[in-house]
Amino acid sequence: MSMAEGMGSLYFAIQRRRNRGLVGLYLVVGAFLVVYAFMFPGLLTIGGFSKFSQNWFPLALVTMAQALLMLNGGISLAIGPLVSLGAVVAALTMEGPAGVLGGLVAVVIVGLGIGAITGAIVAYMRLPAIIVTLAGSFIITGIALILLPRPGGFVPDWLSQLLAGHTPVAFGILILVVIGWKLFLATPLGTGIYAVGDNPVGAFRSGVPVERVRIVSFALSGLLAALAGLFVAAQTGSGDPVIGNPFTLNSIAGAVLGGVGFLGGKGAMRGAICGSLLLSVMINVMFFIGFPPVAQYVAQGVIIVGAVAIPEFARRWRKA
Amino acid sequence: MDQATPLIEARAVSKAFFGNPVLKGVGIALRPGRVHALLGENGAGKSTLINLLSGALQPDDGEILIDGKPVARLTPASARAAGIAVVQQELSLAAELSIAENIGLGAAPRRFGMIDYGALSRRAAEICGLVGITEPLDLPVGELSLGRRQMVEIAKALFRQPRILILDEPTSSLSAHEVAILSGLVRTLAARGIAILYISHRLNEVQSLCSHVTVLKDGVVTADQSLAEVDAEGLVRLMVGRDPGEVFPPRGTPSGGEELIDIEGFSAGMVHDVSLRARAGEIVGIGGLVGQGQEDFMLGLYGAIDASARRAMIGGRPGPFAHVRAANAAGLAYVPADRKKEGLVLPHSIASNLLLPSLGTLMKHGMRDRAAEAGLVARLAERLTIKGDTSRAVQALSGGNQQKVALAKWLPLVPRVLLLNDPTRGVDVGTKREIYHMLRSFADEGKLILLISSDTPELVHLCDRVVVFREGAVAAELPREAISEEAIVGAAMGLGAKDRAA
Repeated sequence: MSMAEGMGSLYFAIQRRRNRGLVGLYLVVGAFLVVYAFMFPGLLTIGGFSKFSQNWFPLALVTMAQALLMLNGGISLAIGPLVSLGAVVAALTMEGPAGVLGGLVAVVIVGLGIGAITGAIVAYMRLPAIIVTLAGSFIITGIALILLPRPGGFVPDWLSQLLAGHTPVAFGILILVVIGWKLFLATPLGTGIYAVGDNPVGAFRSGVPVERVRIVSFALSGLLAALAGLFVAAQTGSGDPVIGNPFTLNSIAGAVLGGVGFLGGKGAMRGAICGSLLLSVMINVMFFIGFPPVAQYVAQGVIIVGAVAIPEFARRWRKA
Repeated sequence: MDQATPLIEARAVSKAFFGNPVLKGVGIALRPGRVHALLGENGAGKSTLINLLSGALQPDDGEILIDGKPVARLTPASARAAGIAVVQQELSLAAELSIAENIGLGAAPRRFGMIDYGALSRRAAEICGLVGITEPLDLPVGELSLGRRQMVEIAKALFRQPRILILDEPTSSLSAHEVAILSGLVRTLAARGIAILYISHRLNEVQSLCSHVTVLKDGVVTADQSLAEVDAEGLVRLMVGRDPGEVFPPRGTPSGGEELIDIEGFSAGMVHDVSLRARAGEIVGIGGLVGQGQEDFMLGLYGAIDASARRAMIGGRPGPFAHVRAANAAGLAYVPADRKKEGLVLPHSIASNLLLPSLGTLMKHGMRDRAAEAGLVARLAERLTIKGDTSRAVQALSGGNQQKVALAKWLPLVPRVLLLNDPTRGVDVGTKREIYHMLRSFADEGKLILLISSDTPELVHLCDRVVVFREGAVAAELPREAISEEAIVGAAMGLGAKDRAA
């Protein structure tokens, strides 16, 4: 693999160290997966695994989108609306003359563009990301509703079959996305994300292009959210202007479960991806146990608080 | 003077913030191979001058020349391109990134657009060897102590192979061993022809390392000369216009005051089996290398971390205390080292910071008593010589004055034992003097003062007794006659610990 070339043992030593702090999370995710596979042996068939990974896929993408910003010291409340807009744009363009390829290009441009604009506002006007994206969430929702006041549009059946059929294509795409992220993180700009999140003044003085790092982060985050929207449209076969709403908070939940800190620079993307997997498995397991949906929400909340509190208490206990 | 052309020179530069002049026609020239000291009290304009030389700020007036050529507008990027590297007091590291990634941050070698970790590893290892960083390169910086981070910061500056290296208080959090490594390094770099600007509040360091000095006072250069021509007293006079003999207050005769601390077999954090007796009216210094348990000892006494002891009477009450509140009730007050994070509410006014610990006692009918508050603030401000409007935000004050506020706010509670954690770190000489006199007067009033200090002269000249910590235990307890810089540093380094152990 060309990626391994040019990277000495230092790179892998750093990676190993990042894993060390996440062992607990890996074990918990593993345990949940075992429990789930035990309750639902179908998970181990191609079809079952495909369905499971398709449920997880959009959550994984939006969690990555959120974690990217949180690592960078930001946050986005517009993830959900961007998913909706991605779905609307996909469904509207794919039924037109642009076709699937044109739809894909449109979704990519919308995601990158809106992300970059948001990022530019945050970076250059020095406004807090939480406020800018709160405002952005209203604007984006509004645009989605103007484009498509009620669910509609059309995604070709073959695309739905490809992405959300009986093959684990979605999982394959996720692996590609992760590889892309690893490559990006190995660039100076990618390393800059951590530096800007942890110590923006220090990063600036070290020659990290702080504004550019912020804008690129927001653009990539927007891209991931919009692509999640395209996938959701393929799953449902049409566009829905409010379908993405739950993703905003779930993306934060996944990132937090994965140990990504709110103050920037703390955590790792692999943790966030595991966090989203944990969230996804948890929901499935609770569904299988027969939790009423309302109780699921309560349980989810309790588990998230616990996930943040337990490592913190463990740290204090070790210190004492 | 037929010296080589200065690598960088500022000519008659001026800078004002919000109409407040900070630099007034200042000139400085850094020549290759020379270690140039920049001295001045806090607020004299040193940081502003560094920011001008490193492109972080633009001068309002005057010009900056690099290699003898005027530069129209120096930016951080063009300064870096010209080979200027700055080690700032505030670290520029990212905690989650590894030592190597931090060293290479913003200047890492690339291959195909990506960081070349192989080359980064080689070059970072080379520089770490030079600086004495022995930790693995893949270790996240967040796991290092403050002193080690400072060394990483220095390695980071060297990674850029600077021609001009600016060190802003590089030794403020270093141990004696690290200071020695840094001093050797500075000499090596100077011998290679690098121009070095060295800012420090430690005069002995400056005198041993530097050959030329520029002294700033209130934004004006008061000296620009060879260091050989001026002694320490002379330097202090140039900075403050005051005789240095007055810096430390005279010590009175130790009065047999009430025993306020009597502990035996005290353990807390990394501190183990410490015994100490101290009386009212004493200033007891706590010395040693950085991070040998001095802070844990103090926090343990204060009930801020768990502590145990075979016997402990603190402030006349049985201890150790389980809570800070119990310590407060016994008359203890603690002034933390990091005044910006732990000691003060920076955006709030001087007055509200001063009032914070006493709000509960100044109440009338459950409401705040404005008149009593105003009276208290006025009294404290006068006692601490805090000049000007007390409704200004604390962050507008210089470091030294901030420290005075952090100290003063405890006085209304009439503490009997003051625990001070390095109160003069990064404080200018003039304010240091005020703080020393204040501490002596507290002691004379019958308070006991425990003082952690990283500044050895302060331990020698201010304290009645010095306890030296090493690896969490007391390495030496020096009575007044035995206190000397040699004795303190020797004990801290573990030399002849047996002879000195009390």
